[in-house]
Amino acid sequence: MSKKTKILLVDNDVDFIDLNKAVLENSGFDVVVAYSSAEGLDRVRFEQPDLIVLDLMMEKHDSGFGFAKAMKADPTTKNIPILMLTAVGSETGMEFSQELDGYWMKTDDYANKPLLPEDLVKKINELLAKSAKE
Amino acid sequence: MAETASILVVDDERGIREGCRRILMSEGFSVDVAENGEEGLKSTKARPFDLILVDLMMPVMSGLEMMEQVRQHDPEIIMIVITGFATIETAVEAMKHGAYDYVPKPFTPDQLLAVVNRGLEKRRLTLHAQKLMEERDQKLLEVANEESKIHAIVNSMADGIIVTNKEHQLVLWNPAAVKMLNLDKKLEAGKDIGETIQVGTLINLINKALSPDSSQYTAISEEIELANPDKRILMANVSVIRDKDGQDLGVVSTFRDITALKELDQLKSQFVSMVTHELRAPLSAVEGYLSAYLSGAAGNDPHMNRQMLERAKARTHSLLDLVNDLLQFSRLESKKVERKKELLDLTDILINTVELLRNQGEANEITFSLDLPEKLPLVEADRSEMEQLFTNLISNAIKYNVKKGKVAISAGPTNHYLSIKIEDTGIGIDKEHLKSVFDEFYRICGPETRYITGTGLGLSIVKRIVESHFGFIEVDSNAGKGTAFTVKLPIKKEL
Repeated sequence: MSKKTKILLVDNDVDFIDLNKAVLENSGFDVVVAYSSAEGLDRVRFEQPDLIVLDLMMEKHDSGFGFAKAMKADPTTKNIPILMLTAVGSETGMEFSQELDGYWMKTDDYANKPLLPEDLVKKINELLAKSAKE
Repeated sequence: MAETASILVVDDERGIREGCRRILMSEGFSVDVAENGEEGLKSTKARPFDLILVDLMMPVMSGLEMMEQVRQHDPEIIMIVITGFATIETAVEAMKHGAYDYVPKPFTPDQLLAVVNRGLEKRRLTLHAQKLMEERDQKLLEVANEESKIHAIVNSMADGIIVTNKEHQLVLWNPAAVKMLNLDKKLEAGKDIGETIQVGTLINLINKALSPDSSQYTAISEEIELANPDKRILMANVSVIRDKDGQDLGVVSTFRDITALKELDQLKSQFVSMVTHELRAPLSAVEGYLSAYLSGAAGNDPHMNRQMLERAKARTHSLLDLVNDLLQFSRLESKKVERKKELLDLTDILINTVELLRNQGEANEITFSLDLPEKLPLVEADRSEMEQLFTNLISNAIKYNVKKGKVAISAGPTNHYLSIKIEDTGIGIDKEHLKSVFDEFYRICGPETRYITGTGLGLSIVKRIVESHFGFIEVDSNAGKGTAFTVKLPIKKEL
């Protein structure tokens, strides 16, 4: 691999970021991080990562949706796949639906938190493979 | 007439007077006599008689005149005329004046007794009828009272009630129902409920209760959501009333406004979901660190691995803090807290709290200053809650401080309150966050606070403690310069 695959982690939980950054770097990824959606949007444009791991619940319980919407509206970033992490379903009864969230669900993926670092690596690889095909 | 009947004989002829008396007394009647009309009138006014025998032709006051007057004050008395001129004319005249019957002179004892007994029988029947009438009136009054009682009860109920018959017509309702269901104020009994009540869900419920296959129901309870005029939730209970043969008579629907309960319920669920989130975040971080350590997913650098374990330990500790705060919080929330309030001098509590927390500030070289007057006015407070209150505030002042920062504690009376000010030279709080700092689980996320562990409950506990002691708390802050919390507690004993 001439250039490492670049992952952007967006989460307000510092431990989640520190831990997964270490694990992903150990798995050969280049990792950049952001601790809020605002910071994340800046980083997306600036870093142009190959994939984004995005936490749904940050400043607000659905901050991730706003992030995804803003990102997919920007032609320079709209093709970057998002792996959305959520604990929403089990906490608020809110569920993802293809119909409502289809604008990003089509190409992208989501996973439920909590999620072990090993499983995150697996998910990322799957999504990268799926996006490469399309 | 259980008692002896009393009879008055009024005649100016002594022979007739005494003769009548003897005949009647021998029959067991109680008998009085009078010589003329005036005397007779006086007697009837002195005590009541069942019957009077009156001679028409008397001096001083004639029999007719006397009868006229007696009837005025005792309309039920039986009057029998004794007359020597047994003509139809006199009899008719006497009847006109209220006489019941007459005895022509001369008469035999049997004739007299026959007339008297007939008169007394009439009196007995009249009195009986009167009594029955009084009883009936009383009963009617009672029924009317009962009805108005039920009316009053139904109308004063906080729950709404609507009664419908099996023809789906409105029978009874109360103002609470009118208000809850936002009905037209001019309701009419007998109107079809479908036309009067524009609440589809309720009509469906009533129809369901009255449908032929409803025999399995005795009552249906369901929540009804109303959108007009504002969003409200009613708990409707629809009961079918049946006669002894099981035939439907109608439906009684009651409503209770449970909007406030529902809101409370929702707040509680929100709180539970926040708590779950707050508990899960540190737990999954700990699990992640341990799992990565065990699998070597983060590599084999011993320094990195040690760091992961240390973070796991720190998160475990913060989890314990959170559980403690939650316990404290629910204790304060339950309002059943038994406070051991005593007259307290806060001086020692403030000094001890600073000493206990001093080493927390060592890493950042925080310096402390305590500015207390020689003696503080006393407050009435729970000692352990005061310790918790100042521990939370001072430990925040340490945690959110900068390297070589200062924590200044001062206290003194202002008006009727004791003010305790805890000031730091830390990172401060932005204006937009200031009003929310006392909210549960409100934590400000920023680069400076990222590695500070906290439960998000410390300040809400502080606020609850202060308020349960009838005090208040103020916060003043400049981002980048520092924050000051001022607690004001009512002074119980001035110096």
